[in-house]
Amino acid sequence: MTRRVAWVLGRCGLYVLLTAASILMTFPLFWMISTSLKSLEEANAPRIIWIPSAVVLDAYRSVLADPDFLRAYVNSAFYAALALAGTLVSIAAVAYAFSRIQWPGRNVVFALMLSTLMIPAQALIVPQYVFFSRLGWIGTFNPLIIPGFFAGGAAMIFLLRQAMAQIPKELEESAIIDGASHLRIWWEVVLPLVKAPLATVSTFLFVGFWNNLLGPLLYAQTSRLQTLPVYVAQLYNINNTIQPWPTIMASAVLTTVPLFIVFFLAQRFILESVVLSGLKG
Amino acid sequence: MTDNPYVFTLVSALVTTAFIIAACVGLGGLARLVVRLTGGNLRRQDQAYAGYFFAAPWIVGFLIFVVIPMLASLYWSFTNYRIGQPTAVVGLENYSRLILEDREFRGSLVNTLFLTLIGVPLQIGVALGLAVLLNQKLKGERTFRVTFYLPVILGFNAAVLLCWRLMLNASNGIIDQAIRALSNASPVVSALNRGLIYVVEVVNGFFLGLTNGNYTLLQRVLETGFPAANRVPMWIQTPLWSKMSVILLMVWICGSMMLIFLAGLQATPRELLEAAEVDGAGSWRRFWKITFPLLTPYVFYNLVLGLIAALQIFEPVYVLYRDNQPLAPSAYSMVYYLYQATFRFNEIGYGSAISWLILIIIAVASMIQFRLQSRWVEYEIR
Repeated sequence: MTRRVAWVLGRCGLYVLLTAASILMTFPLFWMISTSLKSLEEANAPRIIWIPSAVVLDAYRSVLADPDFLRAYVNSAFYAALALAGTLVSIAAVAYAFSRIQWPGRNVVFALMLSTLMIPAQALIVPQYVFFSRLGWIGTFNPLIIPGFFAGGAAMIFLLRQAMAQIPKELEESAIIDGASHLRIWWEVVLPLVKAPLATVSTFLFVGFWNNLLGPLLYAQTSRLQTLPVYVAQLYNINNTIQPWPTIMASAVLTTVPLFIVFFLAQRFILESVVLSGLKG
Repeated sequence: MTDNPYVFTLVSALVTTAFIIAACVGLGGLARLVVRLTGGNLRRQDQAYAGYFFAAPWIVGFLIFVVIPMLASLYWSFTNYRIGQPTAVVGLENYSRLILEDREFRGSLVNTLFLTLIGVPLQIGVALGLAVLLNQKLKGERTFRVTFYLPVILGFNAAVLLCWRLMLNASNGIIDQAIRALSNASPVVSALNRGLIYVVEVVNGFFLGLTNGNYTLLQRVLETGFPAANRVPMWIQTPLWSKMSVILLMVWICGSMMLIFLAGLQATPRELLEAAEVDGAGSWRRFWKITFPLLTPYVFYNLVLGLIAALQIFEPVYVLYRDNQPLAPSAYSMVYYLYQATFRFNEIGYGSAISWLILIIIAVASMIQFRLQSRWVEYEIR
């Protein structure tokens, strides 16, 4: 009997702890939404106002009426979509080479690829900047998008390769006997079997592009090319006597909406892939 | 070409795609030729063609975006190269200026050390704690898991970081207001809060002393003595706290480390734990004698990745401190310093030297970690 009571108490304690942790972890998001619905006075009030006394949509109205914000949204969407398409296809091709074909030099190239995991991308940013400036690409989207077309992202290749390596060999052997080319096997046999890892990789890539700040700061500084993170970051100005927090948070909410959608669509794939391959985004 | 940036990039993307396909065919053909000349049979020739055809995007990209830039920057690191100006070889001058004279570079090194010694262990501790809580066969475990992972996705978006800037504000930020309210309500919380403030400021004072070469801030903290009852953390206001805000954010996004620990916990053999339970070992003892030793490879993995991530922290520093100049350097990570130092005056030569030092530091730190791992990482239980 006492054991049973102790077990129930333990469970309750566990749930209390986990719920408290969840509230702490998601609090910034709650605060972001709450502030975006406040009036300017309430947002800057020197006491805690958990929920606005009256929902004010002025902030959203002013953000959505700002052509700079809308352009930043279009720019971010353009950048993320095109970069995602190029990166995904090339990564899927390279992962296929590393998992389904036996070719001379494969192990050496694969080891080289894994070693690039230790190089932080930013350590290469200086010479790459020079390279892009010689191409005349500063002030264009190209430096943000084109490198991805060359299978950018060793971690993502590795994740996909692990998934493709688990497909039984017999599947494609019969296709080869039927005379199918590697290109067809890749597209019609292998890729449909790794949809879940592809969803994971797409999510990580999309999140990376959507959140990227350093790249656009270097290459897309002009107002015409401004992406969302750069736009939002400059809304806060230390010289303001009163910060327009509701406006800033309204644009923050609108900026993060696509991340929420993508994450909730893909979360069941992500959690499993991360555990399987021990990789982080 | 065209004035429209979207059209320009779309055309560039098409040209790039054509170039990559050409590279695939070219590299594949070359591989087939080499295999044929070395006497490989038809099957091997086909495999060589297909392998290099599919791997070509990465191989070509590796050459263009990694190998050539690294070699070029190695050369530039010995020159005074600036974009648009004549270049001269200056030998080791960049490196000696960096190591001997550059206070901000030394500061970024000390900051990285601080984040690695204090931030990463905290991150790992919280991640491990959450993973253990989740690993109890609970109902609704999935929901909690998704919740704890969510900050990893949102975490370093500038928009979300601005929300942290709002919350961390010392005068009317929600975090300090909550601490104030709780301290007023309970003397225990108040004492805890003041004790924590004292520890944080002493430790940060010491590290700032390492950066500045003098310990006046630390002395001032010690002279002031135990913090007054109405004190709250000064998150983004003083150098004593600027790194703590970054650590808070690091802990917030510990979800990926948590998932890795969960994988480790689920791989722990049931029989071992059950046998220990039969022998009368309590759950605390079971954790430290069996579970934790088996988790050490996962701790090691997270440590290596945590260090590399700490070197690269960029967005939080930019959003929290970019416009707060006298304070900002106290929170610079190495990559942030690289950005700052290189692109202020487009000093490519100097920036190249910083890049190479970062690479060397990562190599050395990883080597040390791999050396030390045999002392504490256990791949099987003894």
